Amino acid sequence: MVAITFIAADGTDQPIDAEEGLSLMESAVGNGIEVIEAQCGGNAYCGTCRVYIDPAWRAVTGDVTEVEVAMIEVSGDMTPGVRLSCQITVTPSLEGLIVRTPMSQS
Amino acid sequence: MSATASVCPAHQGRDDRKSAQIAAANLAPQEGARVVGAFASVREILRSTQVRQAGASADQADLSKPGEISFFFLDGDLHRKRRAAVAGLFAPKTIVTRHQAVMDRTMDEIIAKLRSRGSAPLDELSWQMAVDVAADIIGLTDSDSSENLANRVKAVLDLSMGRSDSWLGKALLTAKIMIRVGAFWKHDLSPAVEARRKHPKNDVISHLVKENYSKKGMIMECLSYGGAGMMTTREFIVMCAWHLFDDPALLERFLTGGEDDQFAILEEILRLDPVVSLLHRRAAAPVEGSAGVMMQEGEVAALSIRDANTDEATTGPCPYELDPDRAKRMKAVGAYMSFGDGPHRCPGAQVALHETRIFLDRLFRLPGIRLVCEPTIIWNRQIQGYELRGAVVACDPA
Repeated sequence: MVAITFIAADGTDQPIDAEEGLSLMESAVGNGIEVIEAQCGGNAYCGTCRVYIDPAWRAVTGDVTEVEVAMIEVSGDMTPGVRLSCQITVTPSLEGLIVRTPMSQS
Repeated sequence: MSATASVCPAHQGRDDRKSAQIAAANLAPQEGARVVGAFASVREILRSTQVRQAGASADQADLSKPGEISFFFLDGDLHRKRRAAVAGLFAPKTIVTRHQAVMDRTMDEIIAKLRSRGSAPLDELSWQMAVDVAADIIGLTDSDSSENLANRVKAVLDLSMGRSDSWLGKALLTAKIMIRVGAFWKHDLSPAVEARRKHPKNDVISHLVKENYSKKGMIMECLSYGGAGMMTTREFIVMCAWHLFDDPALLERFLTGGEDDQFAILEEILRLDPVVSLLHRRAAAPVEGSAGVMMQEGEVAALSIRDANTDEATTGPCPYELDPDRAKRMKAVGAYMSFGDGPHRCPGAQVALHETRIFLDRLFRLPGIRLVCEPTIIWNRQIQGYELRGAVVACDPA
């Protein structure tokens, strides 16, 4: 298990234990992070699993991938560090990761 | 929940499915294909980068001319780029800020028509909604009428999956398709293209014009988006209405619940009665899954959406029961595999859910709304899915 902390828009934090090999989105949904809607089930086709990677972790999680660009652009969400959590795989290197979540995905 | 529901012999619970019997009697996987039904396996195959489209005329698509075939038959980077280019048209935000107005306007017309006539065929009403919404997204808005547009699209699609083994049969089929495609081009697509050359809009055809698609490429792309958006949504709406008419408690919950609850109900109905029952994939290379090799190179798998959607490993107990709380409880996507998965997941999934929700919310609030004739369920061999015809709804006159 990998310890990851989600911080909601109102500042409350929710630590979870994420399973290695799952996506960050699947880990969030499985642990009751309700703002992660993931309407398309993790195929990068809806943009409703957006998260903001804490600056200190962006080098580890990597930049936005080409697969994510279209849906992030459509969402209009220009927040620094924005990623689709369905495109981030949980690995041991993410131990201690901090991600913030938007007020809503719409 | 349904008055006609029976107890499922294989599971402890009701069987609320309405299309299971006709599907069981008619489902026809491609010859030589291995049927896969476990949810996890179906998902892994659909998400694999090693599989290619199969079935649904995929073997007839000329992949050496990607500019002349539908995105539906492509895979890999080219497929992703084609999908991404118009992805914004199907995004949740676009649905709310743009398409919902089309859905509301169309529903105003449908309600007015129903109230003035007193009764109407339900699939005629759902067809109007599906056509108007799809036409707006694609940009097919310069036809003589949306009804004629819909008939021409359907005429082409009905033939496009036909087959004939004889030389003469093939020649006749090709000639018929060319005539129908010609009519679609002349009356629908060509006027839309000309209009967008002068005044580009935010729709599929404007994108095709901007990217200099060939005439054939435009036809294929528009028929793919149109066919999927129109034909499947028509059935989805009628199926959901049928369930709600049959089940007063479910209808009460639908009408008193918030949008999220309404979507949960619709997705659960779609899980039980998916419009498309089978998806085929061919392995271009061995497909490795979490449990080892799942497909050998060259092998074709017929992925059973119905089996995957009722796999107790992901649905929990009583998989044939209509339980709108199931997906949330199981932390699953509500429609399970009904919109497919992976790179080819249905682009219009959220559009279909929204237009169905709006249609049914308005319909069931009509004074005196009732189902005066239940639909007859028939099987469409071409798409391997059900069609619901003959349902008639009535309401109090205006």
